Amino acid sequence: MFRVARLIAAKDLRVEMRSRVVTNQVLPFAAITMVMFAFAFNTDSVVNKVAPGLVWLATLFSLLTLVQRSFAIESADGAIDALRGAGVDSAGIFLGKAVALAAQLAVLEVLLLLTAVVLYSAKFRLGGVVLLVTTFVAATCGLALVGTLYGGLAAGVRGRETLLPLLLLPVVAPVLIGATRATEAALGTSGAVVADGWPWVGLLAVFVALFGVGGTLAFGPLIEE
Amino acid sequence: MHGIGFIVATYTATFVSSALLAGYFIRRGKQLAAQLPPEDKPWI
Amino acid sequence: MATTDSQLTDTGDTGDVRRATASTTVAAVPNATGTGTPFTRILGLATIVTLALLIVFGLFISPADVVQGESVRILYIHVGTVWVAYVAFVVTALSSAAFLWKRTTSLTWDRIAGASAEVGVLFMALTLFAGALWGRVAWGKFWVWDARVTTTAFLFITYVGYLAVRGLGGSHQQRGRRSAVVALLAVLEIPLVHFSVKLWRGLHQDASVSDTTHVKLHDQMLFSLFIALIAFTLLYVWLVMHRQRVMAMQDALDDKGLDYALQQRREEGDL
Repeated sequence: MFRVARLIAAKDLRVEMRSRVVTNQVLPFAAITMVMFAFAFNTDSVVNKVAPGLVWLATLFSLLTLVQRSFAIESADGAIDALRGAGVDSAGIFLGKAVALAAQLAVLEVLLLLTAVVLYSAKFRLGGVVLLVTTFVAATCGLALVGTLYGGLAAGVRGRETLLPLLLLPVVAPVLIGATRATEAALGTSGAVVADGWPWVGLLAVFVALFGVGGTLAFGPLIEE
Repeated sequence: MHGIGFIVATYTATFVSSALLAGYFIRRGKQLAAQLPPEDKPWI
Repeated sequence: MATTDSQLTDTGDTGDVRRATASTTVAAVPNATGTGTPFTRILGLATIVTLALLIVFGLFISPADVVQGESVRILYIHVGTVWVAYVAFVVTALSSAAFLWKRTTSLTWDRIAGASAEVGVLFMALTLFAGALWGRVAWGKFWVWDARVTTTAFLFITYVGYLAVRGLGGSHQQRGRRSAVVALLAVLEIPLVHFSVKLWRGLHQDASVSDTTHVKLHDQMLFSLFIALIAFTLLYVWLVMHRQRVMAMQDALDDKGLDYALQQRREEGDL
């Protein structure tokens, strides 16, 4: 299973390296979203206060595109059907794609965080760095797992892609809540202290565990055609 | 006293929507039953 | 089956295929015209009676509440519909599991899951509607961001998504598998969402508005509530039974359509 996962992940990332769809399309989209938020919220102080939330919101919206892209490369020439037909372990495919998605998400999130520092005057603080990194790792894993799972369901043919937002956004609500609260604690937004953030990381960890196991089991039946 | 209006709205919405759904199921049932032989209707 | 001599006739209309039977079995079988059976007729009657009782007691006989006034009448509906919505969700989840489990797998479970979800969506919508109206009177606002209310709204959206997944097309087995997986994932997700929101709102120390929903009910009010629960439960069962049968016929018709198409292709090949 892990060997398959490694191969799939490498394949997905190689496709991205060559096509550069994420870097050329999704990252700019995410950056624009951050600008749009500032237009919508008007006041500097408001935007500074909600910066963590905006970072994660922009991440979620971009996630939709990343997931669709992840599976669009499969439906070309029925690649994923060929893999399944060859008896490739579906759990391996799931983990592999999730890892590739996580890598792309990580790049996206770092960019968004830096954009928030620049556009919203968000500030790092040394005491919160560990919390910040842990939060981002946990949230990224959670989003990658859930995204791959529902992406598999909504993949490809006949107007299924439009179903993805409806399915995915409600499901990642706990991640949005948890990641935002933890990031606020790490950055000190609205007077939050670092200690406040750790319970939220715990929540994120539960999410990762649930969908790690659940996703691995469910992915096979979901992509079976 | 918007309370009364809300009460009426609630009861009306509930009963009307339930009746419409029930009516739709029954009607659809009759339509389909006309097109199928008895062996496809094991509840008979 | 052996006594039925059937020929497929194409009426010429697009996709409309009617099966002309040579036997008289259709006429001889009672209730062949719909989804009704003696049991559902009795059930339907009981449902109508209890719903009528609900109207009489809920709207007229039972008194207004000391604290809430007349708006307590909304609660009879609200509690009734939320109960059914939760039951419907549980039934969908259990049926989904039954469908996925190899030893009990049958499309009937899939159809029950779907039928239950459809009825559940309706009752969930009614719950949110009634709850919002009640909240406007009791708390002055249509919505509160507490764990229970938010999770209920979340459940509603999840149902809607589940129904959308059912409509994706493909074979009946695929439909069953996909939607069953989605339903079971939702079961995992619901407590997580509830807990997240609880933790979240806990920080805001909302002197829980949920506390004020604890109403002291006496006699006729309690009776009205029980009548509502019974009436809506009967209604739920009745609706799901009929819906499941409609789905079964729809599935059978889909299969026949497929058989007919295959037969046409074979006949073309024989030319």
